[in-house]
Amino acid sequence: MNKRRCAIVVVALALYAALISVAWCVGTSEAMHKTEVLLDYAILDFRSTIFGAIDTMLGHIAKSSVRSFGQARPHTIEEMQVFAKVLDIDEINIVDRTGTIIAANDPRCLGVSLLDFPESGKFMVLTNGTTTTYSQQFRAGAHNPDVRRKYLGAAFPGGNGFIQVGFDEKHLSGLLVEMLGYVFDEWLLGEKGFFLCADVNTDRMISNPARHRDEATCLMEAGFDSEAARAYELKGETGTGETFVQTLFGEKCYCRNYVFGGHRFVPAVPESEYFGLRTAYVTVFVVLLFLVLAAFGWFVDRVMRDADSLKAYWASEDKRRAKDLAIASTIQNAAMPNVLPADPRFRLAADISAAKEVGGDFYDYFPLDDSHYAFLVADVSGKGITAALYMMTAKTLIKDTLLALHDPAAALTKVNAELCRNNPANMFLTAWVGVLSIETGYITFANAGHNPPVVMRKDGPPRYLRPMSGCMLAIMDGIEYKSRMTRLKVGESLLLYTDGVTEALDPHEVLFGDNRLLDVIGAARSYAPSHICKLVRTAVAAFADGSPQADDLTILALQYLAPPRVFSHLFPATRAGIAEATEFLDKSLESVGLAESPHAASLNIILDEITSNIVNYSGAHGFEVDITVVENPSSVTLVFSDDGTPYDPLGHIDPDTTLSAEERPIGGLGLLMVKKMSNEVVYTRGHNRNILKVVKSFPAVENF
Amino acid sequence: MQIEKKQDGSKLLLRVVGRLDTNTSPMLDAELKLDGINELEFDIGELEYVSSAGLRVFLGAQKAMNACGGKMTIKNPNATVKNVFDITGCSGIFNIV
Repeated sequence: MNKRRCAIVVVALALYAALISVAWCVGTSEAMHKTEVLLDYAILDFRSTIFGAIDTMLGHIAKSSVRSFGQARPHTIEEMQVFAKVLDIDEINIVDRTGTIIAANDPRCLGVSLLDFPESGKFMVLTNGTTTTYSQQFRAGAHNPDVRRKYLGAAFPGGNGFIQVGFDEKHLSGLLVEMLGYVFDEWLLGEKGFFLCADVNTDRMISNPARHRDEATCLMEAGFDSEAARAYELKGETGTGETFVQTLFGEKCYCRNYVFGGHRFVPAVPESEYFGLRTAYVTVFVVLLFLVLAAFGWFVDRVMRDADSLKAYWASEDKRRAKDLAIASTIQNAAMPNVLPADPRFRLAADISAAKEVGGDFYDYFPLDDSHYAFLVADVSGKGITAALYMMTAKTLIKDTLLALHDPAAALTKVNAELCRNNPANMFLTAWVGVLSIETGYITFANAGHNPPVVMRKDGPPRYLRPMSGCMLAIMDGIEYKSRMTRLKVGESLLLYTDGVTEALDPHEVLFGDNRLLDVIGAARSYAPSHICKLVRTAVAAFADGSPQADDLTILALQYLAPPRVFSHLFPATRAGIAEATEFLDKSLESVGLAESPHAASLNIILDEITSNIVNYSGAHGFEVDITVVENPSSVTLVFSDDGTPYDPLGHIDPDTTLSAEERPIGGLGLLMVKKMSNEVVYTRGHNRNILKVVKSFPAVENF
Repeated sequence: MQIEKKQDGSKLLLRVVGRLDTNTSPMLDAELKLDGINELEFDIGELEYVSSAGLRVFLGAQKAMNACGGKMTIKNPNATVKNVFDITGCSGIFNIV
């Protein structure tokens, strides 16, 4: 059994225990409630029975006395005492209609007016001629507070006075035994509960549940602890008392303790009455719950096992996907051209940053002829290997078509027709295709549903190039794309990108957006393509701030530079020739605005060194100087060619510049200076000529 | 190139203006008559640039001064000229002020 299964079992058992405890508590509370109700009922039922019986008895006595006396008139104390004794009552008074006792068995009562006592005064209802009997509950007597006495009155005919009889509570003892003794024996509470009734003083039981009769004759023998029950003793005519626990006849019982009429009445409900049921319920619950939990455990285990196999499947699926992605990524990378064009008339840089799940982004650039250069960015729908393969197809198709037709719109129209013809996977793509006229800076372009490029002008902030776009490729057959034109001046740039840039999300799911892209580019100090690519990519990464890259991010920037200006002249290999060449260089630099450049002196020194070398040592008849000026980043290339003896100046060892004036051979310094003052020196020999190319580059002028 | 020359006994002052290259260096070389001179001073504040041909003239003059125990000073080179002196190691040989 593994750890997880152990954990499930432990949790299930804990749950099981918790639920059983809850069931037990609920069962206990329910049983207790039922027991209490039963005991309440027992007390109330008992009291109504007793008091009902006493009322009936006293009513009977009073009424028969009324009949015997006939009318309210005085009788001697002796007569009244005999009467009371015969009737077995404790007090008897004859009261006239004014409320005065005119005859009594107790001399203290004679002449007393009932109106002087609030409770006794209530008996005056018997004089209004409508009420024939009136009774009150046991209360402390007027003459002896220790004696609780009950009074009942019966009126003489016409309300002409009445007879009042009193009966003491302690007098009830014998009566109760007589009245109720047999009743208690059969008085069952619920199924198993019973009543115990015993004399308060002797503890002797006047009743005993039938089944226990032979076993006990007093409460103590039944197991009743009077001391413990004292705190729960209930007296009087109201309330039902408090429940307490005693062990009676060897069984735990819930009891009440009611003392009345010199007797103690103990209704008792054995625990088994209701609590037995609780145990049964809980047992059933325990079994059922166990079954439910077992089934649940089996189910969970099953689910877990399924989850395990699912996880294993996912792991293998992940591996497969990772492999797919690696393949897709390889295809994507292999498809992109990675050698930047070396044409000095424009610069181009491109960057693709594949998402984890490779999308179908691609860019491409290639020359159409000497003066036209094609460049494009496209985004294939979907991701992964399918998109990568489709991308390959689309890329090849676009390139081939463009090479054949040259016009972007015509090419896209044909590509669309081709892609629509065979598109089982319902893929589609967006593409922006441009062709740069290298000599003029004009760009002819067509857009198939792609994001508008950003154009960066010298005289204004970057903005989107947004003529109407055509439909996406491979969606609908027969679409005609239209070519449009824009022109880049020297130093101006165009930025193509895919939606991986503008739809990049930050951690709060905010879009990078079109405006942010303009802001980023607007802040650029240089519009050099490589700089822009880096800038945009860095900005997107900073914006995403660790959020996973959802889509490929492709950027392609192109900057137009003027076609280089070339000056070329042939000079005789003489001192005068050198002077002419110097003048030629001065004029050339002046014509391109570089006469005042701090680099002009270096170029002059270079020219002087090389030409004097040729004149002095090569034996050439003449030499040619070609000056090529490229703007921004500016570079001046000097190419010297002569028909002298083969001589590679670079093959010489540079002189030791640490020697003193005496030690130093004069000479050799010139070539050292050329090397140090230029960026590139290349010697070639061809067509029987020495050709030396020296390139001097200046830092790019910033801000365009 | 223009050369202004001023001699004060054994002290020779030369102000060189323009460019000192293959074509102009021989002119400067020709102006350097150093017999009896033991203090030589070039003011090159208005010298645009100097090529190796010009350097050779300066180096020759320095050697001549060293040989007779004289003293040579080059004053006010511009950035280009100073750069050439640095590249060629001449900064350590000439007394430049």
